[in-house]
Amino acid sequence: MGICQGGLGRKRAVSVDAITRVALTAVASVAVLAIIFIILFIADNGVGALRDVSLWDFITGSTWRPYQDAYGASSLIVGTLLVTAGAVLFAFPVGLGLAVYLAELAPAKVRRFLKPAVELFAGIPSVIYGFLGLVVLVPALAQLFPGQTTTGFCWLAGSLLLGVMALPEIVSVADDALRAVPATYCEASLGLGATKWETIRKVVVPAASSGITAAAILGIGRAVGETMAVMMVTGNTALLPEPLWNVFATVRTLTATIAMELPEAVTGSTAYSALFLLALILMVIILAVNLTARTLVARSAARFTGAEPGRIERRLETLKESCGTVRLQVLSRLLRAALLFALVFFILSLFVGSLAAFAAAVAIILIREACGRAMAQHFGRRRTERAAHVCLAILAALMVGLIVAIIGYVAVRGAPALSWEFLTAYPTNAGKSGGIFPAIVGTLELLVGTAAIAIPIGVLSGAYLAEYTVVRSRGGRLIRDAVDVLNGTPSIVFGLFGLATAVVWLGWGFSLVAGWFTLSLMVLPVIIRTTQEAVRAVPTELREASRALGASQTQTIFRVVLPAALGGIVTGTVLSLGRAAGETAPIMFTAVVVTQSRLADSVFDPVMALPYHLYYLASEGRADPAMMFGTALVLLIIVLGLFGLATAVRYWSERRLR
Amino acid sequence: MSNNEDSAVLAARDLHLWYGEKEALKGISLDVRPHEIYALIGPSGCGKSTLLRCFDRMNDGISGCRVEGKVTFRGADLYAADVDPNDVRKRIGMIFQRPNPFPMSIRDNIAYGPRIHGVVKEGEIDEIVERTLRQAALWDEVKDRLHRSAISLSGGQQQRLCIARALAVDPEVLLMDEPTSALDPIAMAKIEELACELKHDYTVAIVTHNMQQASRISDRTGFMLMGELVESRDTARVFTKPQKELTERYITGRFG
Repeated sequence: MGICQGGLGRKRAVSVDAITRVALTAVASVAVLAIIFIILFIADNGVGALRDVSLWDFITGSTWRPYQDAYGASSLIVGTLLVTAGAVLFAFPVGLGLAVYLAELAPAKVRRFLKPAVELFAGIPSVIYGFLGLVVLVPALAQLFPGQTTTGFCWLAGSLLLGVMALPEIVSVADDALRAVPATYCEASLGLGATKWETIRKVVVPAASSGITAAAILGIGRAVGETMAVMMVTGNTALLPEPLWNVFATVRTLTATIAMELPEAVTGSTAYSALFLLALILMVIILAVNLTARTLVARSAARFTGAEPGRIERRLETLKESCGTVRLQVLSRLLRAALLFALVFFILSLFVGSLAAFAAAVAIILIREACGRAMAQHFGRRRTERAAHVCLAILAALMVGLIVAIIGYVAVRGAPALSWEFLTAYPTNAGKSGGIFPAIVGTLELLVGTAAIAIPIGVLSGAYLAEYTVVRSRGGRLIRDAVDVLNGTPSIVFGLFGLATAVVWLGWGFSLVAGWFTLSLMVLPVIIRTTQEAVRAVPTELREASRALGASQTQTIFRVVLPAALGGIVTGTVLSLGRAAGETAPIMFTAVVVTQSRLADSVFDPVMALPYHLYYLASEGRADPAMMFGTALVLLIIVLGLFGLATAVRYWSERRLR
Repeated sequence: MSNNEDSAVLAARDLHLWYGEKEALKGISLDVRPHEIYALIGPSGCGKSTLLRCFDRMNDGISGCRVEGKVTFRGADLYAADVDPNDVRKRIGMIFQRPNPFPMSIRDNIAYGPRIHGVVKEGEIDEIVERTLRQAALWDEVKDRLHRSAISLSGGQQQRLCIARALAVDPEVLLMDEPTSALDPIAMAKIEELACELKHDYTVAIVTHNMQQASRISDRTGFMLMGELVESRDTARVFTKPQKELTERYITGRFG
């Protein structure tokens, strides 16, 4: 090193820090490139269909029969919206109730155990929900409502499954929003003599309203993109329900259509491009949903920090002013009444005719609006509070019961199938008997490769975002937006993209590498986000301590910041891998085969995988239930094992930092 | 004047610093002489920590921060274009207000600096660890648990560990930014004692809120107010016969 005047070290012409910065910027742009490529590829493949059918006819036409060249997607779009609406209609009240209980009422001990329990709902693979829906829910519905449905396949079943799957997202976002409300608000209200329950209803929940709305919307986003579970229980007829609110009608969603028809579509044909066009519509819906949610989250955050309002913020405020406070209150009251009406109506319509249900729902709303207050006063404030507390505690207990039931059921029915032979033998009779050895190995191979690709890129990108970009800087915002969009992209769209690029365009065929490619893209945004958050949480003092000892920025990041953030990074990464292990949609067109009599020789060979194997067995019918439950149990063990590992790492790293 | 500048270890000449529009330092000129403890006192927000951080180029990373004027270390311009700020920080160590040990073992905390600067032999590291822990008067308390997490130490021990960690890269100057304000009186006394020991081998500049502390340990004291250095002279004189009325009003507690 050169020496300056006074013996001070001379700067190098090109410093290590400058090189690191360029390298990390390059790695972080992978996310941006990925989302651009996904949209371009899907659009490029999708426009092919527009040669034979106009966009207007495609969206509004109601007949979807690709084999007769009829491409009218309206019934699919409506199907998607109905199933989603049904899911959120019941998941939102339940989720909000749980979030209120978690954030405000639950004792610390209960919270510590309830929160991971709710997160477990997100840990269970979609194909297992679908499978349980198929073998438990669907027959149950057919038995309970014999007049309305003969088979039990219907949008109600799809909504129930999706609702449960969207629940963790809703709970965690709403919980964050509620906990962000400053404690001083609460104290002020309690200090005026309000009960805890009145404070929650009149102060805390309204203050967190933006975040709570965002929770509902993110739940919608999660439900819209779901594939496997819906596909297995909704019956999949591309027809509009008759009447529209008949929850026992069979429906078909956009995602299910793609998953079912892609294997049969000839590459490059109109039927093939039409599916890409469906994916594009799906992306547009999800983008709109997520953009709304993000604006709302930013709004609720700005509310308590006193940050400068953004452009959209200011426009909302102007809108609010032009509406007038009174009209706004009426509006929100109407909205709440409408939601309540919809919920009551749907529940009642399960049991009585729709006309009677309609009348009863109207009556209930009117009674509530007219004398709700009087009734509450008669009931007494303390009793109201206690009743609410008890109801929410019961709700929480029910949810814990549900998760225990789901896992327990799979364990009990699957355990007899587990034998040394089942785990180590190759399948026979097209997978209907024999063992699942190649599927276990295939799932693990997919997992390891995905981890090897996604972890380095994700961790470095996350570190770049946290250490080098200011929240409002243009480059950082671009990457963060890309990560958000990538994060919202449905798994089936990743599958489609993997097929179009890795399998067809790059010519890898159905192979391990194609699966790695697709799954890596899917888990990348989660790893980037968790790394970014974990790195942000490292105190500035540690960076200063390192810089003050003469360490360069590069040394500081790699030797102090990343090790200090390791717990958070590992937790998030393991969780995302758990999700990847259970995914079916991204690999079914890129990496897996139905049955195999030997393991893959090279990375260009396809593999078997547990989730797809389960889907295949379940959708084939005639398969031995023991085989199915056994497969489901092994998959569940792997996924929940990763989940447990993540929780353990989180616990350990929290303890390490006192 | 220029004679002064040469004999000083650290010197500032007409130093201005802006955070965006706000001028935080308004033309400071000051010398820190070899083997002395120089104390900077003044009310919160007067710029004393900012000034201290200028000697270490720790303000570099703050966006919107702009420095004008001259800061020298043994006569060499610290802000010259070709100076490596990392080497500046190796030569001039810093102790912060709140103890900030890394979440690693005690030994790794101290080994961090030497390893960054190229020491690889574990034997050498062992020597450095023992020497600096002894210098920081912490050796006897931790010698049996060098592999335990530094977070498990008490606040005062953590701060002494931070001092040992700073000494491990062989600095010539130690800058201390209110090093005892987060500690209890007993831990504070230990740090003060340590500072007095250290001045035989190093030069120390300390920022403090605590006027008794400045009068107890420092050789010379500077009083700062609203970004300006009001008075800078022998500690005894500052506290007994201040030249400026502002200084007198501050040290006697009649301020406002």
